[in-house]
Amino acid sequence: MRSDVRYVRPSSLGEAVGFLSDHGPETKPLAGGTDLLISIRSGELKARYVMDVNRIPELKGIAMTGEGLSIGAGTTIAEIASSETVKRLAPVLRKSCLSFGSPQVRNAATIGGNIANASPSADTFPPLIVHETIAVLSGPDGERRIPVEEAAAGPYKSNVGSRELIVRFILKPSEGRFFEFLKIGRRKTLAIARVSMAVLAEKDMRGAVGFIRFCLGSSTPVPCRIVEVEDFLTGKILNEAVVAEGGRLAAEKMIEISGRRSTTVYKEPAVKGLFNRLLYPMVKND
Amino acid sequence: MTEKVGAIGSSIPRRGALDRLTGASMFSADFRLENPLALRAVRSPHSHARVLRIDTEEASRMPGVARIFTARDIPGKNLTGIINKDRPLLVEDKVRFVGDPVALVAAETEEAAERAAGAVNVLYEVLPAVYDPADALANEAPLIHEKGNLLFRRRVVRGDAASAFSSCAVVVEETYRTSFLEHCYLEPDAGAGWVDADGTLVIIASTQNPHYDHSEVAALLGVEDGRIRIIQAATGGGFGSKLDLNMQGFIGLALYHLQRPVRCVYSREETFIATSKRHALIMEMKTGAGKDGRLHAMKCRILCDTGAYGSYGIAVASRAAVHAGGPYEIEHVDTEVLCVYTNNPVAGAMRGFGTPQVAFAHESQMDLLAEKLGMDPFEIRRRNALRVGSVTATGQKLEASVGIGECLDAIKESYEKARSARSDRGDSPFTCRGVGIGAMWYGIGNTGMQNPSTAQVEIDLDGAVTLYTGCADIGQGSTTVLAQIAAGTLGLAPDEIRMIVADTKLTTNAGATSASRQTYISGNAVRDAAAKLVDVLLTEAVDLMKVPKNSLAVEGGFVVYKGDTDRRIAFSKLAARARRKGIPLRWQGYFDPVTSPLNPDTGHGEPYATYAYACHLAEVTVDITTGEVTVDRVVAAHDVGRAIHPEGVVGQICGGVAMGVGFALMEEFKPGVTASFKDYHIPTANDMPEVVPLIVESSEPTGPFGAKGVGEPALIPTAPAVLNALSDALGKRIYHLPANLERVLEAANKRG
Repeated sequence: MRSDVRYVRPSSLGEAVGFLSDHGPETKPLAGGTDLLISIRSGELKARYVMDVNRIPELKGIAMTGEGLSIGAGTTIAEIASSETVKRLAPVLRKSCLSFGSPQVRNAATIGGNIANASPSADTFPPLIVHETIAVLSGPDGERRIPVEEAAAGPYKSNVGSRELIVRFILKPSEGRFFEFLKIGRRKTLAIARVSMAVLAEKDMRGAVGFIRFCLGSSTPVPCRIVEVEDFLTGKILNEAVVAEGGRLAAEKMIEISGRRSTTVYKEPAVKGLFNRLLYPMVKND
Repeated sequence: MTEKVGAIGSSIPRRGALDRLTGASMFSADFRLENPLALRAVRSPHSHARVLRIDTEEASRMPGVARIFTARDIPGKNLTGIINKDRPLLVEDKVRFVGDPVALVAAETEEAAERAAGAVNVLYEVLPAVYDPADALANEAPLIHEKGNLLFRRRVVRGDAASAFSSCAVVVEETYRTSFLEHCYLEPDAGAGWVDADGTLVIIASTQNPHYDHSEVAALLGVEDGRIRIIQAATGGGFGSKLDLNMQGFIGLALYHLQRPVRCVYSREETFIATSKRHALIMEMKTGAGKDGRLHAMKCRILCDTGAYGSYGIAVASRAAVHAGGPYEIEHVDTEVLCVYTNNPVAGAMRGFGTPQVAFAHESQMDLLAEKLGMDPFEIRRRNALRVGSVTATGQKLEASVGIGECLDAIKESYEKARSARSDRGDSPFTCRGVGIGAMWYGIGNTGMQNPSTAQVEIDLDGAVTLYTGCADIGQGSTTVLAQIAAGTLGLAPDEIRMIVADTKLTTNAGATSASRQTYISGNAVRDAAAKLVDVLLTEAVDLMKVPKNSLAVEGGFVVYKGDTDRRIAFSKLAARARRKGIPLRWQGYFDPVTSPLNPDTGHGEPYATYAYACHLAEVTVDITTGEVTVDRVVAAHDVGRAIHPEGVVGQICGGVAMGVGFALMEEFKPGVTASFKDYHIPTANDMPEVVPLIVESSEPTGPFGAKGVGEPALIPTAPAVLNALSDALGKRIYHLPANLERVLEAANKRG
């Protein structure tokens, strides 16, 4: 039975935050609707209001600012995928957006919605995390800034308050570094990731890893940056054995966080395998 | 009989294609009725439970509710099923699967119907349930039907398999498993209906078998045949599921009582829960061959999980038994298939009726034998392939149109190229490539049963020709092909044939659109009707032209004298002449393939009049670190007898390959878990390989212009070819479909 909801559409951020400060706990923001409409149709959504945030100008746009690369929460995945700025400064995010859902989903879904929905498999989470992204939230008490990895509290549980809205993301730009985003799905497109990974890395003068940010997605309750893997690889010259050990560490950390589950039989070797593929170009180029 | 070149074998624009493109086609849910009631079934949440009480009182008083029906409201016989009648329209005493309907709500709006359905109070006594067919056969198993949980047993025995194994140089014995599958047709089930001024209950249906629907609805309601009219609307695929009475009975029941327009439209979720699935099979196969690779013996034991009701289970079991050996001659065969009730969803017809499952097993066995013998997989198939004069496991001697050898030869060059190229590791150290072959045979039409088709061809006094056929075109293109066959027989262009299709008031029974039978069987009925009309026209012309009948032909709306084509007479003139003499201008055609029933003990008989053959070559790339598989290329050779519409054949092959990739790699319906496309994966365009269709035409003498069928064969060899290619790539075989990420990675990691 479809959820019985009322529809509101503010036209400015102030108006939206004002509405949320009154009705936040009984309101669900609607951006692309690619997750929300499913729960409205199934009746799972227990909210009185659906607040359409698509006409809020403050939520739009991609720009390089003094703070970093700013991407509005209401920017669609397709807009990010086709942005020249993103291609230059955050190509790993672009890559994840290019393989996100299907063309129709990419045209509707927004990056803010992807993060707010807090799915463990959200495709934009790992790239945002490796870019050490700050999520800028707006609420009745003004602006609040949190690291993007803290935006999710658990599977489908957001840390964004019910009276808050994600306004934009600020990424540390990364130009010219090695980057990769990989995911495993049950088919080539339109599949929820079983395992996903993002990496940003750079070699130093010696050819050893001078900089690395690594995030594992779809394998833990919240996608997470694995510092142990980064620390292990930093300062090392990458060869197959080193990368294999990095993959083993990533799998070990996944099991530490998620525990052993029925899916671990697959995910443990798959994390190791995908990690090898992730960093293989850095090995091969030597 | 003359043949109009151009009508047959040419890929003319498909009938109705423009309507589909422009959105003009009317599907069942598109009919705009005056003030229709919405129907909604109340379904069981339990897989096995006694129904103690159904309380509809509170729900009936809810706003907008017109009436709530239960089994007591069914005036006729509350038992349906095309082969065995074991399935109530609405459950009386107990439910047998999650989704079994216990009541039906009719309300003014969809929302009101849904709310009331949720408010119907059913008191259940939950019974022990059984979900495994082997468990269901155990003595202490809960009884799902009173007659017992074994629905059907089919044996096929030839020679003496048990002793023949001892003389085999190699024997392989393995167990294969397949999963339940959902059909995933584009158009979820829908229907509508109204009562005509004369009291006829008119039902618009998304169906593969309007005449079966007709007889079933009449029996449910206990009314005269003439009070029911089923009209097939544009239908967005069926793949076997729309052979069951999915909602026509609900619509009939509501029309009967309420005499008001009604409509019933399933959501995708309801389609998943309510309609049939592909049978999950467990297949134990033992196959032995001599040093030369010649097959000597096969022993096969199959358990076929038909779920809560029979549906097409008996047909699936029979066909699996007959086809278990594959398109090869095997002297000693011992096959037994048991079709078993469980509390799983109803398993019914799905493209191939058990043959896709057994093909996975027999083609895996062929590769295993080849490996043991050190023989090439192509070679062992070529040596054993059926040929004219071969005798099948049921003792049938094949007289003609046995194109498996030609199909194998057609892919040979591609196969050899692919084999020599596959050792290139490609561009990644994480992938490996494999090449595999899958072959199949498929009997056209129902197994050892009568399955006639009828058709009428009529000429009017203007010389215009109308074809009446009950054959449901569900997207496969039968309306186009039947028009071509009529045109080819009458010497007309296909677009000159007016078509009246799948309306039980206007057309006679053409049987089900299933078993790849319509081109062959209904095609022959059409040809028969058209030929009778041609004979009338020629006879009239003989009278006028004073030349022998065999010197005349039909062409372009005229009877022409072959010796001097300027001498000709228009159809219209001949039709008028015949009419004046009282000769009918409407002729009935009929065809029932020559078959004989299978002996219940030995399975001997001639189950089909003809067989289609095919073989696919698959090239795959496997990521050995993640289990991801890419099917790169499929070369698909199909012996269709004669391609009446080559593009239609190509379309079937490409669609069949897509479905086969899903069957091989990703599709699995888990009862109680799988709810919708959210958790059921079918291939997308990105998962599709390059497909190279090769049409082989080993003419079938009894077919219309030599044609057989291709609808199901198109699917069957893909999964076996993909699985053999996977095994070739990994050096490790997978025995359980689908070969999903988990199974492929496990195999990759086991290869040592």
